[in-house]
Amino acid sequence: MERGLLSAAQVDPVLTREVFGNVSKTSQLIFYLLAAAAVLCFAIGVYRRVRLWQLGAKPAGKSASCKALGRKLGDILFQRRMINRSKINLAHRLLFVGFGILFIGTVLIAIEHVLADLLGREPTDPLFHKGLYFALYEVTLDLFGLAMIVGCCVFMARRWKADSSIDRYPADWVVLWAFLLIGITGYVTEGLRIIQAQTPLPGWSFVGYGIASLFQALDMSQSAATEVHIAAWWFHAVLALAFIAAFPYTRLMHSIAGVLNLMHDAENLGEMQLVTLEELEETGRIGVSAIDHFDRSRLIQLDACVSCGRCEDACPAFEAGKPLSPRTVVQDLRTHLNVVGPGILATTKDAKDPSDGDSVDIHGDTISAETLWSCTTCGACADICPLGVTPLGMITDMRRHLVGEGQLRGAPATSLQKTQRSGNPWGLPANDRFAWAADIEVPTVKDNPEFEYLYWVGCAAAYDRRIQNVARSVVKLLRYADVSFAVLGAEEKCTGESARRMGDEFLFQELAAANIDTFKKYRVRKIVAHCPHCVNSFLQDYPQLGGNYEVIHHSQLLDLLVETGRLPVSTADKQGKVVYHDPCYLARANEVTEAPRRVIAAAHFEKDESRLTELPRNRRHTSCCGGGGGRMWFDDSPGNRSGNGRIDEILNSCAETVAVSCPFCMVMVSDGVAASTSQESVQVRDVAEILVDSIDLDSLPGSSSS
Amino acid sequence: MKILVPAKRVPDTDQKIEVCEDHSGIETGHLPFVVNPFDAIALEEAIRIREDRVDAEIVAVSVGDLEYEEQLRTALAMGADRAIRVDCIESLDPWNTACVLKALVEQESPDLVLMGKQAVDGDCNQTGQFLAAMLDWPQATFASRIKCLEDKLLVDRETDAGIETVELPFPAVITVDLRLNEPRYASLPGIMKAKKKEIAEISMGDLGVQNAEKMHTVSVRSAKTARKRVMVSSSCELAEKLRESLKST
Repeated sequence: MERGLLSAAQVDPVLTREVFGNVSKTSQLIFYLLAAAAVLCFAIGVYRRVRLWQLGAKPAGKSASCKALGRKLGDILFQRRMINRSKINLAHRLLFVGFGILFIGTVLIAIEHVLADLLGREPTDPLFHKGLYFALYEVTLDLFGLAMIVGCCVFMARRWKADSSIDRYPADWVVLWAFLLIGITGYVTEGLRIIQAQTPLPGWSFVGYGIASLFQALDMSQSAATEVHIAAWWFHAVLALAFIAAFPYTRLMHSIAGVLNLMHDAENLGEMQLVTLEELEETGRIGVSAIDHFDRSRLIQLDACVSCGRCEDACPAFEAGKPLSPRTVVQDLRTHLNVVGPGILATTKDAKDPSDGDSVDIHGDTISAETLWSCTTCGACADICPLGVTPLGMITDMRRHLVGEGQLRGAPATSLQKTQRSGNPWGLPANDRFAWAADIEVPTVKDNPEFEYLYWVGCAAAYDRRIQNVARSVVKLLRYADVSFAVLGAEEKCTGESARRMGDEFLFQELAAANIDTFKKYRVRKIVAHCPHCVNSFLQDYPQLGGNYEVIHHSQLLDLLVETGRLPVSTADKQGKVVYHDPCYLARANEVTEAPRRVIAAAHFEKDESRLTELPRNRRHTSCCGGGGGRMWFDDSPGNRSGNGRIDEILNSCAETVAVSCPFCMVMVSDGVAASTSQESVQVRDVAEILVDSIDLDSLPGSSSS
Repeated sequence: MKILVPAKRVPDTDQKIEVCEDHSGIETGHLPFVVNPFDAIALEEAIRIREDRVDAEIVAVSVGDLEYEEQLRTALAMGADRAIRVDCIESLDPWNTACVLKALVEQESPDLVLMGKQAVDGDCNQTGQFLAAMLDWPQATFASRIKCLEDKLLVDRETDAGIETVELPFPAVITVDLRLNEPRYASLPGIMKAKKKEIAEISMGDLGVQNAEKMHTVSVRSAKTARKRVMVSSSCELAEKLRESLKST
């Protein structure tokens, strides 16, 4: 190679190559015509998808900050959202960056050629495609071409030996072969060009040079190379143009839809889109019953989905064998859009009023009610999706329709009815809401109107005897630490979180409005709650209705109180293994993962967090207990609960105690452990209960009760 | 076909019911009210019948004051096609309710009256039977399964001895039991949509009915529920306690 570099440099001091060398003017013209056709075909393909996307309702515009946009751009360029599957992630990065660089390189060449032509320069006298730039260009493109081929080969190998978990379209093989052949023919063409044109320093194009050397070793003459080169060039060119033309008709469309989706300011995890009464009156419907009722961004998401199945792997309902796979939901909706979308477009073109278009019901045949009700709204699917697709959002959109049409039956429907009547899902008398505190001293907002924190007790602690102990522990700790707090007593109502996620938007709004009024009445600014669902609702649901508060989870406040020494933990080292189960709405939706761990460590391990046992799926990748999204109110037989896999994980940890920080998790994990046939057993305790045990409460008056 | 579904307004069964100090009735000040759960089951069944036979019309009816519109609104939201409220400020006993319903049936001439076996406030379990007798229509009470055929009805009745299947011609009165179905939930959007549906108001006089009280409430008292609770530590101890309590009774 060294000799080659030197000898070539002696031939011609100008380091470049002729663009379209060995390609006649006629061929060039044909090429540009074909290129125009390919781009047209590409544009038509994209336009057809865009038209389908436009069937969706225009989303309410949200302005994203530059910083957020920058972060999103970074997510895309560095493919930061791809986690877990390390091998395939690497392959995708190689393919992505390889293809990206080659694409940019090709565009640069086109710019060079067009500019040089416009400026009337000789083909051998390029504008900028020369010298050091050319050298770097050659080595870079050869390097990234290899990256693309390697990435492509990994994908091909996987597809070759994959099981049924990979969704297959015949077009996927075409796409992969196209990548591979474009890469290989590119190198072959380059190799032949090196023989044919004898450009200086061909070693910079190291792969092409290698191929050239190979051909030369096989005694290929310059004239033979010239002939083969033009053939190879055409093969490469037509393949590349066909690839561009086919792009929007294959799964490659995910890159365009995915980028659009990721750059668009989608809802946060744990956030839901608001539907106002005005909208309901205007459209006469709530939720989604036909594909064109979806938000535009959701339809874009359908094209962003490549059916990789990460969401399915993360879905607790799928794991438990429920009739729900987030991937299938998205793919079925996409198929449905492809089938009915053009028809809707045609009818809306004729009809003046867009709502006149015939839209086909997606409920029943396309998406079954059982599928929709299986979701725990844990958010794992939306969180794991590299392209920001939110199957969860689609599911809750469709649930709203089912509830609006009265298609929810049985225990969960009763829970909504009871929430509506009594302000709690158990339907227990509203007057009894404060009965849990009958035998302990708890300041109410009337006793302590100047309170700093409102302690939001929530329905579970108000009515469920097991969870009442959590509230009692929190009260003891807050009183011991001399925190200025108060509770609402019987004036509290359900936050409506569960109702909202079950699809009963207006029951939620009714409850939220009542609570916001109560908060106003007592000038509430800071709220502490031991229920992550309530915390999330206050943080993400209530601001949509004008309720803005400083909200923290009790584990965060307790962590702060331990940290500042207001809760002096006895240093006695406790024995026994403790695991912590992260609640979805705390760890995933609101990224609170360390505060509860620090509280447990303070109580149990002399503040050494590393001694806390971790479950295989922890922190934001936690797995749902099965109680979210209204699933708490469904009567599942013990063997059939979402979250059973999590129970096994907890039992297999052989811990003596599993710490939880959510009333739903407390109930579901306790029930799951009790129903399990495993020999292992484990105590289920809230972080506040664990902490209260390690604090000498004797100095607190009136704490002897309970 | 036309199905008439009476829907009574009753206090929410989940709430603590308190008796007025003068024992004239119950405190209703803060009490949420619902459609009598058995009537809701009857309505759900009527909706399911309509889902099978497109020609069915469901008319929800109620006898009471303006507040009863809340329950009729719920019935409309669940799926009734229209509603009739017979204006009446007094609380009628089963006989008089049956008289009003009879007059309504004569006016509406439905093919089927589908109603709860009893209302959960008075727990009388008489209105349906009275109505069938007054109309001289066949009746099936305590229905746990209804099969609506072209010219007849097949009804499974829950009896103490087991399930009895009866065949009825139209028109008929059926009172329904708990296990017939699970009623759907009427959410707010449904209730809002139902606002467009009509609630007709008729006076007792229009129907030619007068309240001739057959039953008079003397006094209302709460039942004594002084349950004795004991925690036992073993099943043997539990058996012993049960034996003792059986002996003592």
